[in-house]
Amino acid sequence: MAWRASLSRSVKEIRVLFCQSSPASAPAREFVKKNYGDIKARNPSLPFLVRECSGVQPQLWARYDMGVERCVNLDGLTEAQIDKKLEELAMAGESLKTK
Amino acid sequence: MAFLARALRQSNWRLSSRCPAVAASCRWISPTAAAGSPEAGAAVAPADLELPPPREPVGGARVELPPNPEDALEVFVDGHAVRIPKGFTVLQACEVAGVDIPRFCYHSRLSIAGNCRMCLVEVEKSPKPVASCAMPALPGMKIKTNTPVAKKAREGVMEFLLMNHPLDCPICDQGGECDLQDQSMAFGADRGRFTEMKRSVVDKNLGPLVKTVMTRCIQCTRCVRFATEVAGVQDLGMLGRGSGEEIGTYVEKLMTSELSGNVIDICPVGALTSKPFAFKARNWELKGTETIDVTDAVGSNIRIDSRGPEVMRVVPRLNEDINEEWISDKTRFCYDGLKRQRLNDPMIRGPDGRFKAVTWRDALAVIAEVLHQVKPEEITGVAGKLSDAESMMALKDFVNRMGSDKVLCEGNGPNPPADLRSNYLMNTSIAGLEKADVFLLVGTQPRVEAAMVNARIRKTVKATQAKVGYIGPPADFNYDHEHLGTGPQTLVEIAEGSHPFCSVLQSAKNPVIIAGAGLFEREDQVALFSTIETVAKKFNVMRPDWNGLNVLLLHAAQAAALDLGLVANPAESIKSAKFLYLMGADDISLEKLPDDAFVVYQGHHGDKGVYRANVILPSSAFSEKEGTYENTEGCTQWTIPAVPTVGDARDDWKIIRALSEVAGAQLPYDSLSAVRDRISTVAPNLVHVDERETPTISAEVKPPVKQQVSSTPFKAVVENFYMTDAITRASKIMAQCSATLLKK
Repeated sequence: MAWRASLSRSVKEIRVLFCQSSPASAPAREFVKKNYGDIKARNPSLPFLVRECSGVQPQLWARYDMGVERCVNLDGLTEAQIDKKLEELAMAGESLKTK
Repeated sequence: MAFLARALRQSNWRLSSRCPAVAASCRWISPTAAAGSPEAGAAVAPADLELPPPREPVGGARVELPPNPEDALEVFVDGHAVRIPKGFTVLQACEVAGVDIPRFCYHSRLSIAGNCRMCLVEVEKSPKPVASCAMPALPGMKIKTNTPVAKKAREGVMEFLLMNHPLDCPICDQGGECDLQDQSMAFGADRGRFTEMKRSVVDKNLGPLVKTVMTRCIQCTRCVRFATEVAGVQDLGMLGRGSGEEIGTYVEKLMTSELSGNVIDICPVGALTSKPFAFKARNWELKGTETIDVTDAVGSNIRIDSRGPEVMRVVPRLNEDINEEWISDKTRFCYDGLKRQRLNDPMIRGPDGRFKAVTWRDALAVIAEVLHQVKPEEITGVAGKLSDAESMMALKDFVNRMGSDKVLCEGNGPNPPADLRSNYLMNTSIAGLEKADVFLLVGTQPRVEAAMVNARIRKTVKATQAKVGYIGPPADFNYDHEHLGTGPQTLVEIAEGSHPFCSVLQSAKNPVIIAGAGLFEREDQVALFSTIETVAKKFNVMRPDWNGLNVLLLHAAQAAALDLGLVANPAESIKSAKFLYLMGADDISLEKLPDDAFVVYQGHHGDKGVYRANVILPSSAFSEKEGTYENTEGCTQWTIPAVPTVGDARDDWKIIRALSEVAGAQLPYDSLSAVRDRISTVAPNLVHVDERETPTISAEVKPPVKQQVSSTPFKAVVENFYMTDAITRASKIMAQCSATLLKK
């Protein structure tokens, strides 16, 4: 959980896309409901954009410096796995900065 | 009978709809009414199997049979059986059966007057012809619309109407779209018998927008009912009786409604026409293009009538969910601003301070050179009020690739609430406001911020006596409202439960809270919206079946900018900028901008932003390009180009795409569809055209707020309704309206 406090230093923007009602997006919806408050409390100025659209595959996007972006498909993942993916994206941001 | 078919087709032009050929998806637009309410009668378009089938409506009611069989009845129209809801009139029943009844005074969105007598039909067992718009349909009623009695009755009425009507069709602006012309061709006699003197009536002065030739008036009272019922001003009325009847303002007075231009559309003759459009064109010379309005955040559906490269007029297009069939006067009459003060060549400011026209290549080369001289964090991009989603996406991608995060849209304040869509949209939807029974307006004046939303609120207040509570500076909304206070302290009292208005909110079934987007500019915005959310939770405003928490946005670009994540702090971004890219941003404060900052202004009008600019890049206006706009309820709509661009102007996103290539940070899209594919990875709802994507994640997931609410009172965001952006400020018509119609 310590990585969440430094999320805004390694990532410029987080975007979560999912469908409002489809079962494939249910873990993503639950993840946002349970974790958005904690992430936002630790990173008040980090844009954490939640975009809901019918028919959209659940996706997690991270934008780093110089407009570099990475995307993780969240289809079939559980909430814990989504949390792990978010941490991996944050770590990737750290490694990008050191280059 | 060919003339009859043509006349009927023309007289129904306002009710017919066709989908734009280039649109990927079409929303089925049809007239409608609340079932069971004769006062809100609907004109149902005749069934046409070639039209696309209706889709699931986003909001509002459609004409549909009630589920309870007891609430439906069967009538016979010309021998055909048809089932209709109870409360329908004979005229509505005929329209469901596919028979077009001529009418002058009847209008589906106004109350029933029945004074023109043109809709006479024969009903079995009735000794006289029946005015079908005022007669409720009864079970088993046998209606005959094509009998000699009905024809004779209509012929007689038409003869009476033409008795005093001037024979000035060749010089009338209503020519080609006149209901009187069409119906006299279809239903009138072939010769006149009147040999006496025709009467004439003195013209009235309604202002700089509506031209009156009252001699042509047939006293149908549509304009009187519109002014009273929809616009909410008691300016018009009937004077005299018999052959001395006149429509007028009783005393010398201008019509001061923001919707006054709609009387031009509903007048069935040429008594009320457009003053700016007088004698400019005939309607058969004009090419109509269905597009979207951008003067406010409502996204009204409009049709731009153009002739060659010139926009001649703007008229409304039917959309039940957004603007019904009205538009505001700003939307309708600011079109001459599209022809004035236009930027047509790239320009560079020389050492002597004067602008010199250059080629695109030179302009882009100069900008790229400066870009490489500044640090990445010193680059700032600002999108303006009229920006489309494609341009904002390109601007954000470009500035991000140059290494900066400072991309923002004017009007979204220091800390935009962009994370959750429900925090910045009108979640009830514009049509859904009609189901509300209590409105709490917080820091918003919908009459001047979004005239169409104000008309919808007024319609609800008038129909169901909904209560309206208002917190803000004193204002007039054209309906009864309770002024609760001027600042956030009133809101805190409501949140604590100590304000008298709490009992009204407590007893409401479908309460609505509307917060103004002007609150985004306050420093205590986060605390303020947290208080509003507390009020919403306390009074059950957000439920699974009802979401009454709304934000009324101000600009056409605002919703899409928040969707795409243009969230930089304007004050900090401007203060630290050495390179400032203004994309149509004319109302952002540049006082804190360093003197040595390099400013690029990209836009379609020479407005406030060009005075500080070092380079000017001309771009297309909304009427000249394809663009995506999202309105305040989250409905994505596309503009269609109606006229070619001016001079050497280009689309906004194409300019940024070219600049990115010259600057060495090339963006990966080369076509409009590629930009939209990119948008679908950021905000996929922006590629679902004519759809509202309802957000389900609400404000409950947000962390607690430590900030305190300030005691600064709310202030009016729109001081001059007629001048809110670059196009309206360039319009001479809007200048006349500001001079004569604004309240002093």
